[in-house]
Amino acid sequence: MSERLRIALTKGRLQDKAVELFEAAGLDCAPVRNPGRRLIHALPNYPLDAVLAKAPDVITYVEHGVCDLGIVGKDTILEKGGAFYEVLDLGFGRCRFALAVKKGGDFYGTYKTRRIASKYPNVTRAFFEGKGMDVDIIKIEGSVELAPILDLADGIVDIVETGATLKENGLEPIEDVAQVSARLIVNTASMKLYKNEITDFLTRIERELEGRA
Amino acid sequence: MNIRINTPEGTRDRLFSECLERRQVQDALVELFRRRGCTEVITPEVEYYDLFVQSGNPIPQEAMLKIIDRSGRIMVMRPDCTAPIARVAATKLKHLPLPQRLYYQQTVFRSERAHQGGSSEIAQCGVEMIGAVGDKADLEMVAMAVDALRGCGLKQFHIELGHAGFYRALAGRMNMGPEELERLRAAIEGKNYALLNDLLEPYRGEEACAALRRLPYLFGGVEVLDEAQALAGPCGSLDHLRRLYGELSAAGYGDCVRFDLGLVHQLDYYTGLVFRGYAAGAGAPVLSGGRYDGLMEQFGRRAEAIGFAVDVDAVGACLSVETPRLETVIHYGPGLLAQALAVVDGRPAGSCELSPCRTVDSTLNLAREKGAARVLVLDSEGERWLTV
Repeated sequence: MSERLRIALTKGRLQDKAVELFEAAGLDCAPVRNPGRRLIHALPNYPLDAVLAKAPDVITYVEHGVCDLGIVGKDTILEKGGAFYEVLDLGFGRCRFALAVKKGGDFYGTYKTRRIASKYPNVTRAFFEGKGMDVDIIKIEGSVELAPILDLADGIVDIVETGATLKENGLEPIEDVAQVSARLIVNTASMKLYKNEITDFLTRIERELEGRA
Repeated sequence: MNIRINTPEGTRDRLFSECLERRQVQDALVELFRRRGCTEVITPEVEYYDLFVQSGNPIPQEAMLKIIDRSGRIMVMRPDCTAPIARVAATKLKHLPLPQRLYYQQTVFRSERAHQGGSSEIAQCGVEMIGAVGDKADLEMVAMAVDALRGCGLKQFHIELGHAGFYRALAGRMNMGPEELERLRAAIEGKNYALLNDLLEPYRGEEACAALRRLPYLFGGVEVLDEAQALAGPCGSLDHLRRLYGELSAAGYGDCVRFDLGLVHQLDYYTGLVFRGYAAGAGAPVLSGGRYDGLMEQFGRRAEAIGFAVDVDAVGACLSVETPRLETVIHYGPGLLAQALAVVDGRPAGSCELSPCRTVDSTLNLAREKGAARVLVLDSEGERWLTV
């Protein structure tokens, strides 16, 4: 018995890249490209249904098993955690987590407890715990760069793509925290229950990724 | 004063069909466990925090619900059933001949992350076989695990076997420090192929490397044992799994058994066979177990142990249990209680109930409100049926 698999794609840029990847692997993604009002998009030539979701929700759906597969950035995985299989690094959506501080400042050269602003408090905590360093973490929802400028924080931990925004605001990245790219994740029970279906899908995607490399 | 009408996050009221699901699963499991010679133990809901630290089962501290008692000691709502049972078996049961087969039907409590849809109260039903080692003990437990899920009424399910010894043997051959080994283990557990490749890249030359690299892929039918052997060479734990599979197949369990050699969770706790049960419709394992021969010693008695627990509500959610429909309301006159009760007791549970009303009209109204189709009137004139 062949089951239709369900995949959750992170809306936005990762979704576009994922659709490109799927199409290159021979999957017709027309329903995802022209979604209309539908929320679940059945691919016509492959037993796969796609749903679109915000990044943390992709993890939620996969963890609960209502989606078998998901495509989500490593940044969200690091911040949110959870129990699932992280089977493929898809290679796109590349950027890095970095610690950035005010240009010319000496971040480590003081005994004062440093204060770090971030949208990713868990990533930040893990990073400084790894160094055996106590820091105050402040969660900021919007432009994190503002916090050091307003002297609310000594530094930030954030996603850095080009570094242009940092530079314009007098900040500089001084340390990499983690490399980020899009990952394919799989629900643990689905992996076991629908092994053949999932293996077939993974093989197609892997073959396409190898072709790119 | 405001009356609080909500239940705390992670808890819920279970009503009607959810209760029936839970009871159906529990009844099926308990019936099986008793039939196979297991006896029940009930341990306290609240235990000393230290007990669960001592057991070596890595339940994160933040996942335990804590209470401070009057003398200032830290207690927790039982986060796991195995450690308390090991405590009992090592102390109060120490003069009983081994093996002992014990079963439990208890709730475990975990403090779940907020707003994740998880439950803080998990109804578990499970068995522990204490003081038996070797193929036959393992076989008995795996067969019981299959029968447990089948007995609950699941149609599409399987039990997956792994062995803590296989990964240990491979990891033991690697020239890696403990922190790197832990990263390796986590990459295998999470089937993180990309990270695993990166971690193993510097060790390409080592002979165990090829097998470790394939480990997350080594799940499925019995053929994965052959592939594992080809990669890792002869290995006691693979032979063990193969013998179990042979016996299980001969006993008719082969179709329900699969393998995952990448089951490498809680390696400080499990010492041999590990297994999990998966059911269509459940997003996480519904059964989990294994052998922990080191556990009892933590409580002062050397004895081997193997066991498993079923997540009762996860299994229940995969079943379709129907709540009975009320069909008949009985209106009875003076002196006719016995007759009325005889009718109720002779019908399927929930399909018939007595009316407390004084007049037939009120009983008819009651029946209409409750959606019953008929009213049975028992009075001095005999019995008659009214349609609602």
